[in-house]
Amino acid sequence: MELTIERLSKRYGQHWALRELSLRIAPGLLGLVGPNGAGKTSLMRMIATLLEPTEGTIRWNGQDIRTHGQSLRQVLGYLPQDFGFYPEFTGRQFLRYLAAMKGLPGSLLNRRVDEVIEMANLEKAADHKLPTYSGGMKQRLGIAQALLNDPELLIVDEPTAGLDPAERVRFRTLLASLTRNRIVLLSTHIISDVEAVANRLIILQGGLVLSDTTPDALLAATEGSVWSVTVDQMTALQLQANYQVSTMVTQMGGVTLRIVSPTRPHEAAVEVPPSLEEAYLLAVGRQAVQV
Amino acid sequence: MNIATLTANGQHIQSLNKSPRLFLNVMTWEFRRYAASRLFWFQALVLFGLLLFLTWALHVAATLGAPAGGQEGNGALLSGFVAGTSAEGLLRILPTILIVLVLLLPFVTADGVTRDVHRRTHELLMTTALPTWAYVWGRYLAALVISLGLALLLLVSLLGMGWLLHLTTTDYPAPEIGAVLLLWIGMVVSATILVSSVGFALSTLLPRLSTSVKVVIMVAWLVIALVIPVLMLPDDAIPSGWLVNWDPTSEITARGLLPTYVFHPGPTITTEAQLQQLILSVENKVPPLAGWFAPHLLLCGVSLVLVLVAALAFKRSRGTLN
Repeated sequence: MELTIERLSKRYGQHWALRELSLRIAPGLLGLVGPNGAGKTSLMRMIATLLEPTEGTIRWNGQDIRTHGQSLRQVLGYLPQDFGFYPEFTGRQFLRYLAAMKGLPGSLLNRRVDEVIEMANLEKAADHKLPTYSGGMKQRLGIAQALLNDPELLIVDEPTAGLDPAERVRFRTLLASLTRNRIVLLSTHIISDVEAVANRLIILQGGLVLSDTTPDALLAATEGSVWSVTVDQMTALQLQANYQVSTMVTQMGGVTLRIVSPTRPHEAAVEVPPSLEEAYLLAVGRQAVQV
Repeated sequence: MNIATLTANGQHIQSLNKSPRLFLNVMTWEFRRYAASRLFWFQALVLFGLLLFLTWALHVAATLGAPAGGQEGNGALLSGFVAGTSAEGLLRILPTILIVLVLLLPFVTADGVTRDVHRRTHELLMTTALPTWAYVWGRYLAALVISLGLALLLLVSLLGMGWLLHLTTTDYPAPEIGAVLLLWIGMVVSATILVSSVGFALSTLLPRLSTSVKVVIMVAWLVIALVIPVLMLPDDAIPSGWLVNWDPTSEITARGLLPTYVFHPGPTITTEAQLQQLILSVENKVPPLAGWFAPHLLLCGVSLVLVLVAALAFKRSRGTLN
């Protein structure tokens, strides 16, 4: 089982969303991160045969998916970033519908639907009409449908959007349990989603691969580049203007900042272990602020 | 059962259904979707009620007057009526009733495929192993069957109301099932297939314009059925042969067929009962099929070709649909 991407490019008008991307992906979980417009969703849609590449090829087990798309779709599970439902159906009916469209035979269909309902923790809501579902429940139903055919290639685009913290943890556990014997591509803005489960990390920016690494390697490369300092409000604003600040928490004794910088940003700053999010910030050279 | 046991078997599902079964799955689930929609049943019920009402409201399709004893008679004017559910009556009222059905059909069929784009279920479906032909033809045939079901409601309303009027109204004849069926097939079924197919095909070819497609079909039908006859055909004018034969709305077709039912009361007709009996003997004559019946079915065939083109041109990729 292997997914090979060779010099893949996608252009919308004059804008290149993805440029000459080449990857070889083996079973395991590959985390795909990057800022908005980095080309993550375009890449996922091209792999899912929903979008035609402008240049380059995608091969599934050696076969070009332009000509053998059907054989890829036989083993594909896909959760789009944005998707809808048929309001006439209950959750269970919708899953049975998609299972039928995926070609699951009757004998297997009901059993598999019950299994994915349990995986997605939707037992109580499964027989309710879809318009009554909350955003998080819809997202879990989307995850469930992607698992219906027990896919060899699972593509999930922003799967934890709308999930509460407990559901996010449950989903991460589920993804981690799925990585044996299959390729999982996980695109996300939430770095902690990939931190615990990804054995490979691709950082995309401006349609190019910025880094092809592992979470551990990325963290190791960031050692010595994250600092913590508590200063007054005025100094905090000056530091924020001059450095990448990953967190900024106002406390009784001043403002505590975590700063991503190859050099010590302030004489009172102390070196702290980096988080993967800070490693990502250092890689993409951008600043995010949380208060 | 926990997550680990659910997912750890590592045996990927390989026993997938073959294409013909998937095609049937598409149809079956489309029927289930309609069946699960309260709005659909409400619309069908409203349509049926409206059709019954129209059949009742138009049950006197025409009133005819004739001097007692014919042209040589004493001048007293006799009057009779043409029953709306007789063959002649149907020629007079069916194109009008058909408009109601046709105005609903684009909403049933045009969105067969584009509904998934608008509801954002398109990506979920297009990443399954469902073959393109099974998806498009399955959706089309399901929509067509539902459209024909609505056309069947029209037939039931004609026959049902016709029998009710026969049982409750003096001199109202029972509907001749053969003539009613013939006109239903030639005018209603052909129009249903034509509108359903054209609506589905154009919307599938132009998914971004599916609303415009519906509007264009409805406006075109109203123009052909209502505006053209008023503007181009004075009351007593006989339309030209090709218009009669190829008019999909059957309005002009009916006008071309009505002279078949013209009669001249002779001197023996001296009472209204005799006149009504004479009308009865004429109004249920089976209309001639020559000329118009085959072209109406041929239009259906052309619309099916359009569906075939749409199915062949359909692309799964998001770029072409959005």
